[in-house]
Amino acid sequence: MKVKVEFKHVSKAFQIHTKQFEKLLSLFSLRRRKENKVFMAVNDVSFTVYEGETIGIVGLNGSGKSTISNMLSQVIKPTEGEIYIDGQPSLIAISAGLNNNLSGMDNIKLKCMMHGLKDDEIERVTPDIIDFADLGDYINQPVKNYSSGMRSRLGFAISIHTDPDILVIDEALSVGDSTFANKCLIKLDEFKKKGKTIFFISHSSSQMKTFCDRVMWINYGEMKEFGSKVEVLNKYGRYTRWFNELAESEKKKYKKEMLQKQYANREIAKKGNENSSIISVGKGIGLFIPLILFGALMLFGY
Amino acid sequence: MFNSMRQVIKEQIEHKDLIIRMASFDIKGMYQLHYLGSLWQFLNPVIQIAIYWVVFGLGIRGGSPVITTVGEVPFFLWMLMGLIPWFFINPSMLQGSNSVFQKMNLVSKMNFPVSLLPTIKIVGNSLQFFILMILLCIVLLIYGFYPTMYFIQLLYYLVCLFSFLFAFTLFSSTIATLVRDYQSFLQSMVRMILYLSPVLWDPAGDRVPDWVTNVLQLNPIYYIIEGFRDSFLARQWFFEDPVYLCYFWALTLTLMFIGSKVHLKFRENFMDYL
Repeated sequence: MKVKVEFKHVSKAFQIHTKQFEKLLSLFSLRRRKENKVFMAVNDVSFTVYEGETIGIVGLNGSGKSTISNMLSQVIKPTEGEIYIDGQPSLIAISAGLNNNLSGMDNIKLKCMMHGLKDDEIERVTPDIIDFADLGDYINQPVKNYSSGMRSRLGFAISIHTDPDILVIDEALSVGDSTFANKCLIKLDEFKKKGKTIFFISHSSSQMKTFCDRVMWINYGEMKEFGSKVEVLNKYGRYTRWFNELAESEKKKYKKEMLQKQYANREIAKKGNENSSIISVGKGIGLFIPLILFGALMLFGY
Repeated sequence: MFNSMRQVIKEQIEHKDLIIRMASFDIKGMYQLHYLGSLWQFLNPVIQIAIYWVVFGLGIRGGSPVITTVGEVPFFLWMLMGLIPWFFINPSMLQGSNSVFQKMNLVSKMNFPVSLLPTIKIVGNSLQFFILMILLCIVLLIYGFYPTMYFIQLLYYLVCLFSFLFAFTLFSSTIATLVRDYQSFLQSMVRMILYLSPVLWDPAGDRVPDWVTNVLQLNPIYYIIEGFRDSFLARQWFFEDPVYLCYFWALTLTLMFIGSKVHLKFRENFMDYL
């Protein structure tokens, strides 16, 4: 089987700046500061996914699911580790980037264009998208008049018709009603049959059970389980039940402990050891000489 | 050394169709909710021209013409030759700088070269600019200024204008995304630059000491606007002032060099700064 996606010891750390000023300072400082307080949103995650698999990702809120989905769709880069992706990923999230001032129709054209579709391809898929989104006459209204369900329907319809190799669905189905969710699942099944890889992030374990091949459980930035869906979903179910049964104070204590583990003092290793400062143009300094020279000539009225 | 510059320019050329079509969507979205639609693209400048003409032309100058090396020119015409490029430069600089921050959310979720965003703003604004330029030519004809050979160098100054705007917005869109204060700073700066450029008054006139003129000429917009006037009024060829020409291009290329370096360095991490 062909490897489609591979994560090798991937971590994503977010720098914590207590003050806006510190952020500015870190942009302009020439030397890399040794110690930085960071939040490990994803910590040392490794997995391999093969062509045609559908992977479910479960986890509590803030456990790092969305960070992983953003890294999968190459929106953000990992701070450590390597990601190998074979093909063109496409992310479907609730906040699908639609232009609010344009009509649904124009948004379809615009987004297809931005996804790199050619004119004739756009013409071909537009009726399918309109049909799938099922917005009726609203398709010619500006998107700002849409309800949140309509927006996510349109976003989903567009993304799914741009023919991605890898589809990342970040809780996008939870907004629409069950009839639309069903429609989407049917469409996703079609995708599966074509041998495409799907990552499916959801809180609905019933959807996952019917739909996924394997399930990954992310817990406070770390990969807790990755395996057969029944096993992992049962374990996750037990875990949430256990957590829910805790007393309120115990819940708080547990959460605090787990979060504390994610804060770490560590040096963020930038790829290629690059300095993250604005002022390090490096060898190009010689370029300023003509500018200064002619500037001086101008000033003295030559 | 010039790899990053080459890469950024290559991206623009490869995606030129995309730039033009996204720009047209931008224009469409801008006035979608206005009753008068894109008529505002022309109502806005007309109102501003009227105000500046009344305040500076009739008020401060008392209607006197501008004295140039090729004779007297009515202030209204002289002002138009500066204001019309300015109506293009001003929004392009501001919107171009803001474009990456504004569109990052939309664009980051797909494989889209971010370096196109400032260019899309420039191209979007240039439609209005070209139409106003044609209107200016008609006004010039009405006033009895007929086209001369010097009109050809308008092309050169258009290249200057677009190169400078591209270099500037590429650089400043990166900075504006990393440091949000920069955008507010730029807004007040642009307002100031209007008065430091030869748009509404003539800094090369008799009342201004030479050294002040020299300092003001360091402003690249000064070069562009005076260049447009040179072409319209048949004053001089662009190669007759080689030092100024070299200074302008040295500045633009340096800016483009730093701009593309900084852009490529940070663009993978833009999302972390939002």
